[in-house]
Amino acid sequence: MLRFEATQLILKYAGDRPIVANLGPTTDELWHAQHRDRNFYTYGNMGLCSSLALGMAVSTDEQVISLDGDGSLLMNLGAIATIGREQPKNLIVVVWDNEKWDQTGHQPSHTAMGTDLEKVAQSCSIAHTATVTDLEELETVFRTALEGDGPWFIVAKTESSGPMPVSPIEPEMTLYRFRNSFIS
Amino acid sequence: MGALREGNTLKDLLKQPDSKLIDKGHPLMNWAETIVQALKNWNTSLIAYVPDISIHEVTRLIDNDPFFHLVSATREEEAIGIAVGAHAVGRNAAVFMQSSGFGNSINAVASLCVPYRTPIPMFINMRGGPGEFNIAQVPMGRATKPILDQFGLVHFTFDDDHRMDERLDGALKLCHAGRQPVAICLTKLLHGGKVA
Repeated sequence: MLRFEATQLILKYAGDRPIVANLGPTTDELWHAQHRDRNFYTYGNMGLCSSLALGMAVSTDEQVISLDGDGSLLMNLGAIATIGREQPKNLIVVVWDNEKWDQTGHQPSHTAMGTDLEKVAQSCSIAHTATVTDLEELETVFRTALEGDGPWFIVAKTESSGPMPVSPIEPEMTLYRFRNSFIS
Repeated sequence: MGALREGNTLKDLLKQPDSKLIDKGHPLMNWAETIVQALKNWNTSLIAYVPDISIHEVTRLIDNDPFFHLVSATREEEAIGIAVGAHAVGRNAAVFMQSSGFGNSINAVASLCVPYRTPIPMFINMRGGPGEFNIAQVPMGRATKPILDQFGLVHFTFDDDHRMDERLDGALKLCHAGRQPVAICLTKLLHGGKVA
């Protein structure tokens, strides 16, 4: 499944729910798929996408969606343990797992060599997990996650969508737009 | 814990970190209670931290107070991410860590807090200063403030609790006014520190 099509599918069902996007192509593709105030784009801080989403989830009653990546999450596997410890019912983590570090020369990531992020999540007491390989499976699992309690941890095996223009890099405006949608 | 005063040696004070000190006839909060009250005054209810024995007294108070949600992170950069996430949905948040942990969080501060302009108070237990017993703690302890300076981030050092409530209140006000992290450096002279 192409990551951009998967991103479009998430947006189709996300409604007004906040979405945090991993740095690089995930942020760019979210911006191009549908720019909205409740997209929290990241431009650095590799590995912190789902930590940001956790901080949001324990601070709002709304469902929070994290669009993480295999390379980034491998940099901060402790985030999964903390999510398992906190058990936020309103957090859905989706990992775009293309089994490589696409931005740095397509080197195979650990998920290409046997690391199973879904099993990591399960071992961290996250009860609702899935690994999906096509859009139909992602649609079914994501809609189920939206309708019930989490935390959810969904590994989506994806392929890169090809080059896409870099989205505007405006962290201060990203935070301003996003935060205002909660406090105003 | 109070500042050194006549008849009160540092050694005496270190032996009784939970004691309520009396100054000018008024009961005073100890340093840990003062921090808790300052956080409440600034409606800062999400605390992300990595445990540290030297400031356990304050994180224990936080953990036992239903006003707060204390999130235990596995690493300090994760704590920064969690705190920024809370801020992004409108909740004031702070982090507690050791100076060595600040080292673990540097890129999170540099690439997240600074460019997004997030007012996250960082309570840092300073290792590597007077009384340090562990050589491995010295380099990062010594480098913490210069690194903060390189980021242009303000830091305040608390060696004692003299006017601590006012100074903390001012630090938190500056943090929010500047929409940048402010480091509140807590030293062994304040909290007694870890002993070998």
